[in-house]
Amino acid sequence: MAVFDSIHLFLQELIGAYYMQLIILVGINTIMATSLNLIIGYTGQLSIGHAAFMSLGAYCSALVTLHLGFPFLLSLLCGALFAAIFGVIIGIPTLKLKGDYLAIATLGFGEIVRIVCLNLEITGGAMGLRGIPKKTNFVWVLLAVLFTVFILNRIIKSRIGRALVAIREDETAADSMGINSTYYKILCFGVGAFFAGLGGGLLAHYIRFLHPKTFDFMKSIEQLCMVVLGGLGNIWGSFVGATILTVAPEMLRSVADLRLLIYGLVLILMMRLRPQGILGEQTRLAPFFSQKIRNLLQKRTRTNT
Amino acid sequence: MFIQQLVNGLILGSTYALIALGYTMVYGIIELINFAHGEIYMFGAFAGLLLVTVLKVPFFLAFFLAMALAALLGMTVEFLAYRPLRHSTRLAALISAIGASIFLQNLALLIMGAQPYTFPSPVEAKVYQTPFFTISRLEIIILIFSFLLMIALTLFIQRTKIGKAMRAVAQDKDTASLMGININQIITVTFAIGSALGAASGVMVGIYFRTVTFSMGLMPGLKGFVAAVLGGIGNIPGAMMGGILLGITETIGAAYISSQYRDAVAFALLIMVLLLKPTGLLGRPVQEKV
Amino acid sequence: MTKRNKKMFMLVGVFMCLAMLLAIAGCDSKKPANGEEGTVVKIGTVGPLTGGAANYGINVQRGVEIAVEEANASGELGDITLELISEDTGGDWSAAANAFTKLIEIDGVDVIVGAVLSSETQAGGPIAMEAKIPTISPSSTAKDLTKGNPYLFRNCLSDEVQAAQLAEYAVKELGLKKFAIFYTNNDYGVSLKDAFEAKARELAEVVAVEVFMDGDESFKPQLTKIKESNPDSLYIAGYYTEAAKIAQQAKEMGLNVQLLGADGLCNVAYIDIGGEAVEGTYATSGFYPDDPTPAVQNFVTAYKNKYGEEPDMFAAQAYDAAWIVINAIKSKGPNPEQIREGIAATKDFPGITGKTSIDEEGDTIKDVIILKVEGGKFTRVR
Repeated sequence: MAVFDSIHLFLQELIGAYYMQLIILVGINTIMATSLNLIIGYTGQLSIGHAAFMSLGAYCSALVTLHLGFPFLLSLLCGALFAAIFGVIIGIPTLKLKGDYLAIATLGFGEIVRIVCLNLEITGGAMGLRGIPKKTNFVWVLLAVLFTVFILNRIIKSRIGRALVAIREDETAADSMGINSTYYKILCFGVGAFFAGLGGGLLAHYIRFLHPKTFDFMKSIEQLCMVVLGGLGNIWGSFVGATILTVAPEMLRSVADLRLLIYGLVLILMMRLRPQGILGEQTRLAPFFSQKIRNLLQKRTRTNT
Repeated sequence: MFIQQLVNGLILGSTYALIALGYTMVYGIIELINFAHGEIYMFGAFAGLLLVTVLKVPFFLAFFLAMALAALLGMTVEFLAYRPLRHSTRLAALISAIGASIFLQNLALLIMGAQPYTFPSPVEAKVYQTPFFTISRLEIIILIFSFLLMIALTLFIQRTKIGKAMRAVAQDKDTASLMGININQIITVTFAIGSALGAASGVMVGIYFRTVTFSMGLMPGLKGFVAAVLGGIGNIPGAMMGGILLGITETIGAAYISSQYRDAVAFALLIMVLLLKPTGLLGRPVQEKV
Repeated sequence: MTKRNKKMFMLVGVFMCLAMLLAIAGCDSKKPANGEEGTVVKIGTVGPLTGGAANYGINVQRGVEIAVEEANASGELGDITLELISEDTGGDWSAAANAFTKLIEIDGVDVIVGAVLSSETQAGGPIAMEAKIPTISPSSTAKDLTKGNPYLFRNCLSDEVQAAQLAEYAVKELGLKKFAIFYTNNDYGVSLKDAFEAKARELAEVVAVEVFMDGDESFKPQLTKIKESNPDSLYIAGYYTEAAKIAQQAKEMGLNVQLLGADGLCNVAYIDIGGEAVEGTYATSGFYPDDPTPAVQNFVTAYKNKYGEEPDMFAAQAYDAAWIVINAIKSKGPNPEQIREGIAATKDFPGITGKTSIDEEGDTIKDVIILKVEGGKFTRVR
């Protein structure tokens, strides 16, 4: 994996460590947002406990690296699978719940995970888990993002994806068409949690430190914002949402005091202007922007003439 | 000790119940989780504090003035952040509510700073000893006030014309509007009452726990929300029950299981209740129309 | 989407892009011109300026600000001017990593005073080490924090030392025998609890250990349990807001015990909130605002004039940490490596939080003083 490291270092030299770090965090958040989009946007199940799956993946992969000395790829996989198991476990009982009741149950699950991590011996408890080796770099994150987007895209374009959308639109009708909604909902939670765990593992091996505090319900809410802001049911939208909500707080650092004030206002304004998200459900990324640019050019030529 | 813990839980629970009422009323009418409610609770506490300490308004008056001011804020937030989104998806409205919550919290930080403010005590501290438990005078006042407010709210919704209209809107907006009910007006009134109750809770908690800070709305906001869901969101007696049940579970959990898992016990109870009764304790099962 | 909406959306988009460009440009324009005026040394601070822990972060930032202003005004550093850049974390360690990288890479700071919370320092420490930028935390007390990182120092009382000393004092001087411990579930509370419990068990008896969360309001469930075990004293390992409420509620419940605590209690807010209930509390501290020595009084006056409130332990330790940095610049030189050497060589620095030395691990050696709340004021008893 020395090749990965040298590519990473070369690029870092080119753009600077700060922007490199931002890109890596955008990547990790993209994984989080796209996987949450599968649950919320495609299957229509409102989950606000996604950060819990992230923390499960982060802790599991960090612990197998630290105690069992697993290679990076294997420990990432362990973390993701561990989170996926919990995704299935939380998926089964929540099948009965709908809408906001499901949301609050996932929130409760997330808080329980956080409190348990805070009190366990093996997670380092309130002292946090430290000494995780730094293994995540640009190439790993890029590969992980591509893998996530590829797999999610395959799922969405397949029969499974159509079944998920059918469940979102009308579960009763889907059931009567012979779609086993129970099976698909569990599958969707499992897959979503798998990628959330992957994102967590990448974060753990990047920052080299873990503490339960960061994986609280505000983190889940932040990820929800990325999905809705980008556009529900649109993988590219999640990428756009994750990018904006990762970069915006950093860019707003120069206004110090007003940073979060503006952040809150931006959320309200964006929803008011684009309630369907920046990219709607059907919009594709490249055509969307080329359309915008074309509009802009047209307007300019019109004013010029 | 058990009875003492029950009393502790009852007092804690009654403050949750008042917050939960605000969530539940708004949810009952427009099916929106009003994320900014915790911040309105914080605003109410600050308004009460400033009225008492800076403007030297008597406590009793300050309490009701704070409620009125919070009602105004609630209506403003509804008008600016929620009304334009009434016909978009519910998730868009939820994000807008989150934005409003972040905005209000940081506005308070900017204006009031991060330090905790001390709320002067309106009554002389006095503790009553009974054979089974001890209770302070302030706690008795808080209990009485919370219950009076809850009874007043129930009467308002059951007996008055506006209350009737609120129930009608909650049941079916379109039909209610055909019956000549002004939907916008009813929603505004709902936000006003819900926010006023949140502020009442904020002031009482401020007096009881003696401090007011800009971030005080976060945890109680979450707990109030959980209490509302526990009782069946949209259901007013359910919110009261949910609040008190949550308070008692927390104290009993801390006492007999482990104080480390105090909050986890509360959330575990929530999940268990939802698994047994997916729409909360008093929530009506949703009839799906096919 | 209607035409009007589309237009507005475009407008907002353009506006935001412009705002971002301006922000970036703004950062660049702040870069001072080196040259004739002399060298500029940039000091960064990292801490929570928003969120639930904002109070601690803001006080730290203020302490550093006063030190920097003093140093610039006094001309002690000759032609070196100090510039302060503060970054917010919101109390989140992953945001702290961003803040550290931003300060080091974009602003090019030479030294960092921070972070505030231990978890933030844990996340930022390795970044500072890789970039070889010396970092001194004024308040991160987690055990072994500075081990293995030659660029990371701290200036705060060691939890183990202060908890053990207070336990000894409580048994030997105050004659207490049955301790109850009530700690906050974070690194600070846990390390205090561990140290106090070990020492107290060695010398006397510990009858109850209970835990709370930062930001809790109601402590009665745990206090009821503590009362059942009939202790003669209660050691509160946490910060002043929660500690004052604990004292208040304990008194209401008729739990009349000797209150003990650590430096987290030493803020006037503890007395403001707690009122009569906190009378007689003994707490360890590194800072005593009523200390008549001129250094302390100058700081307290300057702080009060500037911010309208009394400084607390966070502000005082941050002020000292900043002065340790300033002295390092004075003695060794203004580049990061020289500053690191200077901080590491700190010995018997006469700070306002007592005589301070930095040991070979980057940890602090400091005198522990014991304060008592008497007549609504902290007074020094040892």
